[in-house]
Amino acid sequence: MSVKVGIDFGTSNSGVAVFDGTRVKLLPVDPKNILPEVIKSVLYITRDYRSSIGQEAVETYYRDNVNRQRRYVKQWAGEIDYRGADMHYVRDIYVYVDELKPGRLLQYLKTALRKEGYQGTQIFERYYTVGDLAKTYLSLLKQRAEDVLGEPIHAVTLGRPVKFSESAEQDRKAQETLRQAAHDAGFKEVDFELEPIAAALDYEQSITKPQNVVIFDFGGGTLDIAVMRLGDAKSRKVYANGGVDIAGSDFDRTIIEKRMLPHFGYGRVKHHPEIMDMIHAIPDWMALPELGTPINRNIIEKAIHSGTAPVRLKALEGLIYNDLAFTFYNRVEAGKISLSNEGATVISLEDKDIALWELYTRHQFESDIQRYLVDVEKVLLDTIAKSGLEPGAIDAVVKTGGSSNIPLFTEMLARIFGTEKVKESNAFSSVVAGLAIKAKM
Amino acid sequence: MSFSNKIDEWMKEAEARPESAITIVKLISRRLRELTERNEELLAENIALQNGTRVEEFQKRITHLEYQLDLLKRRFSANDNELVDIPAKPVEETTISLLVYNSRGRIFRIELDADTKEPGRIAGEMVTDQEPPRLLTVPSREEILLLFTSGRVATVAVSDIPIVESGGAWKWDQATQPDEPRAAELLACITPFSQLPLSDFFLQISRRGCVKKTMTSMAQSILANHYIGKGALQKSDQPFDLTLHKKQTRLAFVTYEGHLIGLDVDDLSYATEERIRLSATDYVIASFTTHADESLLFVTQTGKVIYRESNSVELTKSSSAKGQSLIPPSRLEQGVRFMGAASVRDGDQVVVLDATGKLKVHEADSITGAGSIEADGLILSIGILPADSVTSSPLGKRAAV
Repeated sequence: MSVKVGIDFGTSNSGVAVFDGTRVKLLPVDPKNILPEVIKSVLYITRDYRSSIGQEAVETYYRDNVNRQRRYVKQWAGEIDYRGADMHYVRDIYVYVDELKPGRLLQYLKTALRKEGYQGTQIFERYYTVGDLAKTYLSLLKQRAEDVLGEPIHAVTLGRPVKFSESAEQDRKAQETLRQAAHDAGFKEVDFELEPIAAALDYEQSITKPQNVVIFDFGGGTLDIAVMRLGDAKSRKVYANGGVDIAGSDFDRTIIEKRMLPHFGYGRVKHHPEIMDMIHAIPDWMALPELGTPINRNIIEKAIHSGTAPVRLKALEGLIYNDLAFTFYNRVEAGKISLSNEGATVISLEDKDIALWELYTRHQFESDIQRYLVDVEKVLLDTIAKSGLEPGAIDAVVKTGGSSNIPLFTEMLARIFGTEKVKESNAFSSVVAGLAIKAKM
Repeated sequence: MSFSNKIDEWMKEAEARPESAITIVKLISRRLRELTERNEELLAENIALQNGTRVEEFQKRITHLEYQLDLLKRRFSANDNELVDIPAKPVEETTISLLVYNSRGRIFRIELDADTKEPGRIAGEMVTDQEPPRLLTVPSREEILLLFTSGRVATVAVSDIPIVESGGAWKWDQATQPDEPRAAELLACITPFSQLPLSDFFLQISRRGCVKKTMTSMAQSILANHYIGKGALQKSDQPFDLTLHKKQTRLAFVTYEGHLIGLDVDDLSYATEERIRLSATDYVIASFTTHADESLLFVTQTGKVIYRESNSVELTKSSSAKGQSLIPPSRLEQGVRFMGAASVRDGDQVVVLDATGKLKVHEADSITGAGSIEADGLILSIGILPADSVTSSPLGKRAAV
């Protein structure tokens, strides 16, 4: 016998669930995680092409990479043809490659699906397309789910944001890439459901009479909104849905840009364009690991010797060359999460040559992300308007996704709809639970 | 953003949510405490720089490096005609010192000769902080590296440690303390390291069986920073041993409850890894390099000796290995435990310290033949006096207990 599952392939976290007709079972696919039913959407690929996901990937990455030794070798990368008038010559191109690099950690795989122009990445000798990366992650996730269930899984309902991209073509392409990746991962049948609608299906299990509901699914990668009539399968209706590319990763990026960059020389380094480029690349999780070249190290060292912000540039060097990028992003994210419950937190990173300490308050955070609040409120009101309902006609607003816990947005929802209408749901499991219900329909 | 602007922003948070003020004060107080401690360390370092202590330390190190360079020149000039002309000072024949040290960093140094059978006796408390004293034999011109449980390291020349008279009776108060352990810190082990230029790796072994490999090319930074790290994963774990290794060598370690595990040094990760799964009551009591021409000696607390060929050590790559069990379960139930283990060659001698504080030198051949060691009390530690030790010291430790 084989089963169909629901998979929430999230930007930061993923999950797998099955529905037996009466109750949803969330599968503990990551026993090493604090919440075994939630698995980080990270993939680690070693030099010998062994892959791991979730907490195992994180632990392997930390074990093999942090403060490791490096050895750069000059490697032939190709050649460039020069042609002009009666002249033609060929020039060899070399790159410096760290031959001791044990593996690559990849995160925000879902963002890569919708990122225009991003085709894939070179991992040692192999080129992985975005689809290959998603397939590798999904096949490992499928295997784990099968181990938990003790039976094969043949089909899946995958969650997808309302909009992968503003461009319809890019949106279609992203879904097709994900569909093909799921097929390649071994799922014979693949269908999709919008993530906010999945969250609505989960919420529907808890209500006894029909309601007009707004699903506010605010996760790591996107904000998805659905206005629905729920409570009776026959009269279930989607009035409108909407979304925008604003979510947790944007807030992390903003914190880094506004609060962390000065620790790495921003504002002190003025006449070193190469170093300025490195500093500006810090918020970009894809760019930072690529900066660790011997040429860049030489540039930083020279600036340090000349007395240009030596402590901060040493910290920049440590961040890049001690493989601390992942730890750094995690610290920023953890600081942001703690501000949902606390008025102040400390974002710190202590390592060789780095002594970063930043006291960060909720007031600062809220002023840093104020511009996003305006956009989020606009999308929400537009979606409500599209539904033809007045805010007063909404019976409940269901929050899901990690970013929905940020007090600034909870207050915005309370202001528009009234505090009593804003309902909490399980931030990490309501979408996957709804997908499992959809899979059974 | 200026610091005063930041403070203004913190104040705004406290005004908007007065309950945040307590959190902010707590976070700032914690930071203030950390900075005060760090400031004190920096002031101490500044004093050491100003009064010349640090300069002296570096001068000593330079002297030692010059000595090592001489050794290397001599070694290579024998095979390389081009280097024959490089002047090298003749290296004097050196004596052997037996170092007996405890976890509080106190060290006795006894010079041994071929005829010494009873180097002396230590009076008073033998086991400090639940750690028995440990023994190490080194050439008297050797330099040693002290590893503390915090991961701090310090270097001392053996010749700087005062000699106590062979055959005497001493108290720990009389032992020298070349580098006093800091607060919440114990001396984990002592390692000879004049062979550093000829070695490829440092290997750290923790009490709970974690192993960390570091390239010796990092030695300059380690010595400059006085820090190599704990090499342990758990907070409750602590470093046990530090050894120098060449490539293509094998490391073995032995536990209190009689487990033996062999590891290929080249296969080890540069990150700290747990390499043996130990029971809650078990811990590492010995680690050493194994060579094909050596035998392995395991000593229980009652002096019973177990002997094995070195090729009987099975190499393992798994991090969850439990190792070979050398004490039968029935004996374990009776309380039999290992107190020491080492790899020995023909002609080596074994120095034994018992619970009465008596040090005694035995021929390795005779104790393997007899199957036991005669001692006045329970065995606390053993050390190896290599047969060839008068002229050269072995690379890495052949015994660590």
